[in-house]
Amino acid sequence: VPTSSIDWTAVRAASPFKIALPRTPVGGRLGERLGAGTGSSLEFQDYRGYAPGDDLRHVDWAAYARSELLAVRLYREEVAPRIDVVLDVSRSMALTDRKHRAFGELAALLACACANTVADARIITAPALDPRRLRRPEDIETVLQCEATLSALEGGHLPLRRRSLRVVVSDFLFPHDAEALVPRLARDGASLSIVQLTLHEEAEPDADTGRRLIDVEGHGEIDMVIDEPAVRDYRARFSRLRLSLANAARRTGARFAHVLAETPLRQAARQLAATGILEAA
Amino acid sequence: MTFATPLGLLALVAVPAIVAIHLFRRRYPVRRVAGLFLWQNPRQTPVEGRRRDRLPITTSLILECLAATALALILAGARLSSADIDRHLVVLLDDSASMAAVDAQGISARDRAARRIRSEVERLGASARVTLVVSGERPSVLAGPAAFAVEAQAALNNWQPQAAHHSLALGVRLARELAGTDGKLMIVSDLMPAARGEEEVPGALWASVGEALANVGIIAAERTLSPDRGQGTVSLTLGNYAGAPQSRRVVVSAGGKDIVTRYLNVPPGSSSVALPIPPGLPPVRVALSDDALGRDNSVVLAEPRPRIVAVDNRLKEGRGREALANALAAVSGITRAEQSHLVFVDGGDLDRPGDPGTWRAGFGRPPEKWRTAGAPRDFVGPFLLEKRHPLLLGVTLGGVVWAGVSPLAASAVHPLASAGDQALIGLRSASSAGESPAFLFNVDLDSTNLIRAPDWPIVISNIVEMRRHGLPGPERWNYRVGEWIRAGLGRDPKAALRSRSGGVERAIPAGQRIEIIAPSPGGLLEILEGDDVLFELGVNFLDETEGDLRRQTTADTGSLADGSDLRADAGVTSDPLFWVLLATAGLAIMANWCLLPASRVHG
Repeated sequence: VPTSSIDWTAVRAASPFKIALPRTPVGGRLGERLGAGTGSSLEFQDYRGYAPGDDLRHVDWAAYARSELLAVRLYREEVAPRIDVVLDVSRSMALTDRKHRAFGELAALLACACANTVADARIITAPALDPRRLRRPEDIETVLQCEATLSALEGGHLPLRRRSLRVVVSDFLFPHDAEALVPRLARDGASLSIVQLTLHEEAEPDADTGRRLIDVEGHGEIDMVIDEPAVRDYRARFSRLRLSLANAARRTGARFAHVLAETPLRQAARQLAATGILEAA
Repeated sequence: MTFATPLGLLALVAVPAIVAIHLFRRRYPVRRVAGLFLWQNPRQTPVEGRRRDRLPITTSLILECLAATALALILAGARLSSADIDRHLVVLLDDSASMAAVDAQGISARDRAARRIRSEVERLGASARVTLVVSGERPSVLAGPAAFAVEAQAALNNWQPQAAHHSLALGVRLARELAGTDGKLMIVSDLMPAARGEEEVPGALWASVGEALANVGIIAAERTLSPDRGQGTVSLTLGNYAGAPQSRRVVVSAGGKDIVTRYLNVPPGSSSVALPIPPGLPPVRVALSDDALGRDNSVVLAEPRPRIVAVDNRLKEGRGREALANALAAVSGITRAEQSHLVFVDGGDLDRPGDPGTWRAGFGRPPEKWRTAGAPRDFVGPFLLEKRHPLLLGVTLGGVVWAGVSPLAASAVHPLASAGDQALIGLRSASSAGESPAFLFNVDLDSTNLIRAPDWPIVISNIVEMRRHGLPGPERWNYRVGEWIRAGLGRDPKAALRSRSGGVERAIPAGQRIEIIAPSPGGLLEILEGDDVLFELGVNFLDETEGDLRRQTTADTGSLADGSDLRADAGVTSDPLFWVLLATAGLAIMANWCLLPASRVHG
């Protein structure tokens, strides 16, 4: 599916949102948001003793009058938040035209949300590749080819930044341990948002005849009759997979949303907002 | 529907093979998935194979089975028309032993015949039917009737001619019946009809495939024993059909050991040679050195063990007793003993019970009880003789005055010779199991001239030979192939009777007498009772006609009626079914490999 098929007008119309910020301070460059350290914002944070070189404008003269000690007012720093968008660009995300299109639109929605957040946003697609800076939402199109045989989440250490806001988009249809994967993604981050994107037939397949199932990422093939018991078993496994992700996210303080590819973009945006991944701009 | 090569139907095993492949390794439509691991469970079907499950009737399976069936039918030469029945060739094979004669290159007329028949069958095409008839005294069908070419070929490969000389007339008659109105008749021999003494067969192709060759063979053989001299003799009659003297080595061997070796210079025509051998040897093999026809180069001869008939002359002193003694002196193979097989007594003693196993011949007035009222009469003829009775073989009674004939009751004897209503010679058959037959010669030996007539020693010899015939043992010990072998046991058999010759065993009907035909190809013939060997007999191919190979020739006469018919449309491609099957197979294969892959891909 050519990425140029993304209807940016529709995407912008559906995304009056920005990435939801946590209530705790976040890290980042000088910007609008209160940082974790001291800075030059108007919000008082603490006192400390005067040291030569301190800005005399921050000396609390009233306190010196009372105590004859030079104390300096410390203010919270103001930072621009860092956002790391992790996209799974493996072949499974382009399993069908619908899924590929939905993945592109969802990535574009998040790109617009990043832009609305006024944040230092980067896109991570593989452990070995340098993150790509997201200067404008349209830059997201360059990474949506979906030709990798491995998800970014299956590889090694991802180049996530400390205290960054992290948004992960994947179908998570690869063997994994959610209790290990989610904490790894959340480690040293300010927040973690997980978006699982699947087709409806991937979440709730219907019974079928005998089929040769071939893994789109080359992980083998099997012949089987997709009858009701087989479908029932599959659905139970998929439910366990999704539930384990949700539980791991809850324990880690992350947000989790399962989006079906067939869901209209506007409705998907509201779903993300409802789960706290996005918030009104 | 007919099949030119039914063996091609074996290719139909491809159909169950395809079904098995589909059953155990299905070619399901492809469905690409993102999380294969979520589908994997113990119910999955591995790619390498699977156990029993319901067979899905897929388009691929139907097309593959259709293609396999069509190809198998093509291989089997399936035809809609039965036109090939018209191409029915009936071949009469001359089974004479001369067909096995080989030339200097080792090629026999049989080889040339097989090659000729093969070429004729190839001309007819693989779908033609062939019937092979083997000639002989009892013609038989070697392949067919109306066998397929491959079957006929296999039968032809196993055919080995070895029969003695015989007429082909019976074989021609059988072949004509098998050919019917549509079949073509071909006769394959090594002689042309005139040379073989046969009439030409109208409407048939007579193919002579022989070659004139020089040959020396044994045309008669006998083994005798002289107890007096304590020596045995092998007498051979050799036939030289080369037109010039030939040198041959003759070897007499027994039990794998050579007894006599002699080099002979055999003159053209027939010649005899006698080879002395020690007495008491087991059956000996006499072999000439090899030449064109190997069939007549060896014989197996068993040592004769003559059946001695013990006789006792109990006639009263007189001319009759003396004449009987003189006649018995001229008969060989008899001995005098009181415990005898045959006794000559006065006719009046015949009403007394005889000894078991002892035949009696009574001369003179019959017993009182057998006679009726009336005076004895003389007869000079005419005499009515039952000439087929062995007692009267060669007997004419010409010029005989049969004197002293007493009138007999009608049921006293079974008349073998009579004059008017008077029985001259009668047979008193055994009335009970233990009683032996008795012959009555209703004649007065003192007054008849029978004892001076030539019939007298003949009738005495006949009666002795009849008795000899009833003794246990075979009539002779060496036979020609095809001769009747008759032997008596003198008792009921204790176990199953069998004959064994050349490793082939045949059952013999149980009874006190054995009658079998000397089997071909001959050699040592053993008569077995259970596991015991009763008799060892020699059976040999002794045929002067088959040994003469000078008239053999290669030529044809006659024709296969309408030969053009035989050559037309011989191939399977002439039948429309061939093209239908070919198109079906091709389309099925194309559809399976071109159309199905697109429809198999799922989503």
